[in-house]
Amino acid sequence: MVGDENLEPDDVPEEKGVLAGENDAAEQEGPSDDELVLKSQQGDVHAFDQLVERYHSKIYGLTYNMTSNREDAEDLTQEIFIKAFEALPRFKGNSSFYTWLYRIGVNKTINYRKKRNRKRALSLDSFDQDIKMDEAYHDLTAKGSPLRSISLSELQIKLNEALQNLSEKHRTVVVMHDMQGIPHDEIAKVVGASVGTVRSRLFYARRQMQAELSEFVK
Amino acid sequence: MSENNTMDISTDEKADALLNQLMRLKSYETPEAARMTRNKQNIMRQVRQAQSEQRKPLLDRLEISMPWLFAEPKYGIAALFIAFIGLQYAGINARNSTTSTGIYTTTSSLASYEAVANIQSNRYPNLPRDYQLFGQPQGDQTVVPAGFEFKK
Repeated sequence: MVGDENLEPDDVPEEKGVLAGENDAAEQEGPSDDELVLKSQQGDVHAFDQLVERYHSKIYGLTYNMTSNREDAEDLTQEIFIKAFEALPRFKGNSSFYTWLYRIGVNKTINYRKKRNRKRALSLDSFDQDIKMDEAYHDLTAKGSPLRSISLSELQIKLNEALQNLSEKHRTVVVMHDMQGIPHDEIAKVVGASVGTVRSRLFYARRQMQAELSEFVK
Repeated sequence: MSENNTMDISTDEKADALLNQLMRLKSYETPEAARMTRNKQNIMRQVRQAQSEQRKPLLDRLEISMPWLFAEPKYGIAALFIAFIGLQYAGINARNSTTSTGIYTTTSSLASYEAVANIQSNRYPNLPRDYQLFGQPQGDQTVVPAGFEFKK
């Protein structure tokens, strides 16, 4: 798992639990995850296609925020789904499909970075135009804010650099909690640590992020 | 002292709130729709490829190889000729192995097993040491075996 030295997604354990966002998926129209998984296990590629459609953006979000590189994120997303398809016959349904897929995602992303053994240059997705409608954006660019002096793209780079300077395990909890809104206990199941450890990692990671962004966060 | 603590707490809270706002901005980083569509297509292409690499039934394999035969007629004809020669060779071998060469006869014309079995041994019989093989010659008579008598 995430805390282990050798992270192999081949034997992804299934723990009971659901991740935030799975309920959203359940609310989606069409067959349930369980039905789609069963059909996929019987060789129905169309059923797996529906699972890819359902979870692609979440897995891409995880890999993109973990790497701050959209090409790497695309490759990883691809690898994660292929891995999931290959491992699907061994999936017994002890955990939800989404939790299982997420665990593959986290392990594969960390392994990928370890194999590269160096930081890649940032390759960032552009901001959506809706950002200018957001209250946080207005507050950060209001008169008297330290962010007023820098452009949005500079801010984006600083933010991603600060994120990439965190260790793998700290970045994992920050991405999952602060960016993907996954609760502590569910993160604990994915990373194979206690809730206390997750909270502690999150606290430390946030302190480090504040230090990295000290010129803005005062 | 307590005033300083209060100030520290409020500074920490403010920093936390600012960090939350910055993190919130990251959620506005959105990938291009076209790239995502392409990525999904790539995933499904690889999934189909992975599935097709699994074991296929014989009929499916034949379905793949048959069009090749017609697409390249000269190789197809050559392949058929080689297959024909191979079958001929296999047929000849099979016929030879079932009808092997030899002399054929009916069982009535063969010596019976019992007759052969009655022959005890071809060994020379055990005789006493002083057994007389030849008779004593009389006068100018030739040496003849013991017990031999001229016909009178």
